[in-house]
Amino acid sequence: MTRPVTPQVDPRGPRFSAWLTTAVLVAVLLTGWWPLLAAQAVVFALGAFAGLNYSPYGALYRVFVAPRLRPTDEREDVAPLRFAQAVGFGFAVVGTLGYATGLVGLGIVATAAALAAAFLNAAFGFCLGCEAYLLLNRLSITNKKVGTTR
Amino acid sequence: MIGGLVAIGTLLVAGLIGVLLRRRDGRVRTKNTATVPDDVRAVLDPRAEVTLVQLSTTFCAPCRHARVILADLADKTDGLAHADIDLTDRPELAQRLAVLRTPTTLAVDSQGAEILRVGGVPRRESLLAALRPHLSA
Repeated sequence: MTRPVTPQVDPRGPRFSAWLTTAVLVAVLLTGWWPLLAAQAVVFALGAFAGLNYSPYGALYRVFVAPRLRPTDEREDVAPLRFAQAVGFGFAVVGTLGYATGLVGLGIVATAAALAAAFLNAAFGFCLGCEAYLLLNRLSITNKKVGTTR
Repeated sequence: MIGGLVAIGTLLVAGLIGVLLRRRDGRVRTKNTATVPDDVRAVLDPRAEVTLVQLSTTFCAPCRHARVILADLADKTDGLAHADIDLTDRPELAQRLAVLRTPTTLAVDSQGAEILRVGGVPRRESLLAALRPHLSA
């Protein structure tokens, strides 16, 4: 079966990024320092909207980690990863706004949600944002406003 | 301080969810034996006794992995075929099939009846064992 050629990456890169994201989000929860969460939001935004090649964590992986690992033929499609980064971006923005405007509870909840997703991805390779896609799409039948179809 | 507790709690809960999801992943379920809709019937291989209909979306990283396993399994097993349906722009079909996540794989016989389904990336051996009674070869 021939399939359209889609951009792909070494799957260990996103796993590495997920661990870094997990560490950053834990630090945000520990310190409550919103500029750190804002920086993470920028990282998410670069990965989601500019492309994974522009993600700072991806660059760290390519420069410092990948040369130390054996090369692999295994590849992963970029589209699900970018979608998940966009979901992370949404949570990070809400969290940053929460912390920065004094709604600390909102900041904590949004950061914890992003942390749960990042940790599931890092430790289990389970992409929550990707799984949510189909559910969101099903919701969009009854409520067109929630639609994620582009 | 509250933040620290939330961080620990979140990691614990996410860890638990991860373990449960991993355990459920790839398990063969035989509860639903309804006849599949025409959209699914259309992709069935007429020469095969059983077609593995993989349901995918664009935003699905493990679908690729599942595709490799299922295509190889169908290739090496007589009477078994593999087909792929992209649900990305067909949420109404996902709803009719009661599919909540991708990949989900339906094993459908030549009459269009669903034999079993697997959520997540299928495990080769358990899937093949469950299909054996439906394959003559």
